[in-house]
Amino acid sequence: MEEVTSVTIVSTNINKDILNNYNSYHVIDKSFKIEELLQYKKIIFFNVFNELDDVKIKEIYKYLDDNHILYINVTNNMEEVLATKYLIIYDKDKILIEGPTLEVLKNEKLLKRIGLNLPFIVELSLYLKDYNLIDKIYLNKESLVGDLWK
Amino acid sequence: MEIKELIKNNEIIGIVSNYENNLNINGYVKDIDIKDLSKALKMVLLDDSYLDKKVSDLTLNEQFKIELMTKLNKEVIIIGNLSKVLNNKDIDYFKKLFLKLNNNYHKKIVIIDNDIKVFFNLVKRIYVMKNKKILYDTDNFFDHELYKYVKCPKIVDFIFYLEENNKEIMCTTDIYELIKDIYRRVS
Repeated sequence: MEEVTSVTIVSTNINKDILNNYNSYHVIDKSFKIEELLQYKKIIFFNVFNELDDVKIKEIYKYLDDNHILYINVTNNMEEVLATKYLIIYDKDKILIEGPTLEVLKNEKLLKRIGLNLPFIVELSLYLKDYNLIDKIYLNKESLVGDLWK
Repeated sequence: MEIKELIKNNEIIGIVSNYENNLNINGYVKDIDIKDLSKALKMVLLDDSYLDKKVSDLTLNEQFKIELMTKLNKEVIIIGNLSKVLNNKDIDYFKKLFLKLNNNYHKKIVIIDNDIKVFFNLVKRIYVMKNKKILYDTDNFFDHELYKYVKCPKIVDFIFYLEENNKEIMCTTDIYELIKDIYRRVS
């Protein structure tokens, strides 16, 4: 994990105790201005992206990448996981599974067992693949629709 | 405007707004004044092992459940932040519980959340509220105007994208119905 610059942590029982494992990170747990982030080398966002749209989240992540700031997003929202390349799933207070995001998402049954749905576009792709309408998993609507209605 | 004023009949409504948890219990779960505490705990997906725990030591998820438990006997149940603290499985359970409480016991229920997905198949009407003022209200999840105020759920965003690209598709909030409709149209 030391080598990855951006991580999403999804927890089935979101709690600030999780932050104890990442003491070297500065915690952001309420609304913030993007310029404020520049003063930190490592940031952990705690459940703050619920109201932001994907464009805004991407803008924040790009700003952090451009400024070589490491970041972790702790959330219970599976829709946020596609924005980072590494994913850690906590079931209550223990790590259940971790790895490159797309690899972790392949464990659909395990995730559903602990109450987590796949991100919408991944779940939709999987079902359409089962129906033989497409032959791969898409991560954005534009590519999926382009393949379906070609 | 007070939230209770929005409920006109025995119904479930959704309010898009920030919700401040108002759980003011400092002691142990076993000290909560509820007639059949074991039964009430089960109803909110907890069990007797929580009786000897301090409410302040519980996770956000568990505190939500305790807060809801203390409100189950009220005529109007106002609760929020489901999307922030619960997983999808819990959300599905509580939506079914709210429908049951509304249908069988005529409870008026107000759900406050910033995630419209929580309101799917649950609420009669959605209100966008800020500083006690109603900015917008609708009974249609596919009302474009609504998403000027709130983040658009992925399934609605996907259907809007198809419409913008002149692809006919059914307006549904159910992924299985959407898949069936796509299959009918492209296979």
